[in-house]
Amino acid sequence: MRWLVVVLALVWGLALAQEKKLKACFIYIGPVGDIGWTFAHNEARLATEKAIPGLETKYVESVKPSDTGAVVDRLVSEGCNVIFTTSFDFMDATLEAAKKYPDVIFAHASGFKRAPNMATYMADFYQVYYLNGLMAGALTKTGKVGYVGAFPIPELKRHISAFALGVRAANPKATVNVKWINAWFDPTKAREAAEALIAEGNDILAFTEDTATVVQTAAKKKIPSFSHYNSMYKFAPDYVVSGQIVHWEKIYIDFLKKVQNGTYTNKNLQNVDYWWLLREGAVELGAQVGMPINPKYESALKQATMTVNGKKVSVYDRVMELLKDMSSPNPKFDPFTGPIKDRNGVLRIPAGKKASVAELTSMQWVAPGVVGQVADEPK
Amino acid sequence: MDEILNAFTRALSFGTPLLLASLGAIVNERAGVVNLGVEGMMAVGALAGFAVAYGSGAGDGNLALAILAAMAAGTLASMIHAFVTITLRANQFVSGLALSMLGLGVAGLLGKRFEGLPLFNQPPELPFTLGAIGLALGLALLLDATHLGLVLRSVGENPAAADALGINVLGVRYAAVGFGGAMAGLAGAFLSLVYRPSWTDGMTAGLGWIAVALVIFVGWSPFRAIFGSIFFGLLYYLQFRLQGQSGVPTEVFASLPYLLVILVLALSGLRGQQGNAPESLGKPYQRGER
Repeated sequence: MRWLVVVLALVWGLALAQEKKLKACFIYIGPVGDIGWTFAHNEARLATEKAIPGLETKYVESVKPSDTGAVVDRLVSEGCNVIFTTSFDFMDATLEAAKKYPDVIFAHASGFKRAPNMATYMADFYQVYYLNGLMAGALTKTGKVGYVGAFPIPELKRHISAFALGVRAANPKATVNVKWINAWFDPTKAREAAEALIAEGNDILAFTEDTATVVQTAAKKKIPSFSHYNSMYKFAPDYVVSGQIVHWEKIYIDFLKKVQNGTYTNKNLQNVDYWWLLREGAVELGAQVGMPINPKYESALKQATMTVNGKKVSVYDRVMELLKDMSSPNPKFDPFTGPIKDRNGVLRIPAGKKASVAELTSMQWVAPGVVGQVADEPK
Repeated sequence: MDEILNAFTRALSFGTPLLLASLGAIVNERAGVVNLGVEGMMAVGALAGFAVAYGSGAGDGNLALAILAAMAAGTLASMIHAFVTITLRANQFVSGLALSMLGLGVAGLLGKRFEGLPLFNQPPELPFTLGAIGLALGLALLLDATHLGLVLRSVGENPAAADALGINVLGVRYAAVGFGGAMAGLAGAFLSLVYRPSWTDGMTAGLGWIAVALVIFVGWSPFRAIFGSIFFGLLYYLQFRLQGQSGVPTEVFASLPYLLVILVLALSGLRGQQGNAPESLGKPYQRGER
């Protein structure tokens, strides 16, 4: 009889230990194979699992924002104690879920609403977009750079503006022509939007959308492009100049280690907001990990010149110099340093000032050089 | 001129999968069987085509084999619908909806390992487009001017009379549904091998549903389907081309194709005719029943 009690106690103890185990669960907006946003989060999830011993993870893909609550219910019942909601569209539903489950830790990507048990995080590309803009401005012959955008939300306005500031710094007369597809994941729309931009004379393409479609479409027409979110070099080795690569795992590993060692609890996340950039290694310049600029475009970029503080420098050197600076512990340069006017001529960032994170995440204006309809733009 | 030519090229490119899938749907509907599962069959075909074309890696598979595999996969999927609706006489709309979801789900699940892989061995677009138009003309001729066409149509209009004449009603319907599946599979292969070219879960993005709507829009005529699909393709392209060129919000252009379908349906309803819908469309056939 006594051994039975011992066994039961052991089993119970094991069950308790099991419950205490860190289980991080991820809610994705798209399919993990989109080669874009969701793919990057999933790669980061796998890397995080490897980096933190004993961590268990789980994910649910292609979740509609309206289903967020139900998915959270399910994940909580399955023992998830940290839940990452990885799309701006999940913001309000995550806040509601955080109130409903005060013991569970939530972290929401790309939003601005927090709670004692809900943090926010973002690996932001605006610096990288500026560098890509410099290259696009140097490479365009028609002076028209095309941009396929998903939705006109602050994140995209910030990125497109940073890109346009870069384009104009290298090529003061060039324009960035934007077409919206009103979808994060729609390869058919991305293809036709890219085709329309090419038909309008844009000879370089960049984009924010979750597939490699724009890169593929541009390559078919022998047009250089900038990849987005992951290594898309393999899709068009001759035509991808550079791009943006994300390393969400830097944030996930840091966050979960701090949950594990008790730094972060379900009571103290109100002000926890990751805004990680080049300096933290959360983002990288390039079309492929470890390749900031496609060697095929090196000589063209070395020949192209631009004026910086009255001095002529090659665009290649400028990109490399700024990349080094912004990757250092104390960057001197920031693309959003005033004076910056919006495209309607209203001064948005005063001379000598840098835009704050709050200003960047709620940005509704767009920079000069951006052409095309932009919703919710202040006049 | 360049602009018009380009728009026309885009319309043809986007219209090709629509035309292929809707030709298949026209044939099975003319034989009296509605199959709403086009989207699912398209997804299955897209995956099968991509998987075979990808082969052992880096797109070194056989393209002809890939296209055949896509058509076979589409046919196989359609046979589920055929068995349930023709042999078991279940509701065609419900079965088609189920097939649509099943196809998307199965393709998504089996396709995991092919996601995000580039395909370098790409077939050109033009043969598909010309083939689709040729097929439409051939089908128009077949339906209106041949004995086989008469048989197919009579099965869709009045299966009891066809049966009395000794026509194998169920056999014809099976064949027609199978053809619909093969065409949907081919349309899927066009997407994953030519138009994209890559495989992702959900890549059909509702094209199958547009193809289903197109069948009604063109009044079950393969000939008119050519213009219908080009028209849809043109509208689809123009929503991006005209974006920012006028004050009209982008959402209006994006919804135009669907608004047009509703308009056409409303107009045909007003004229007191259900388009040219086959008389027995959607009705299961059982010998001896009236």
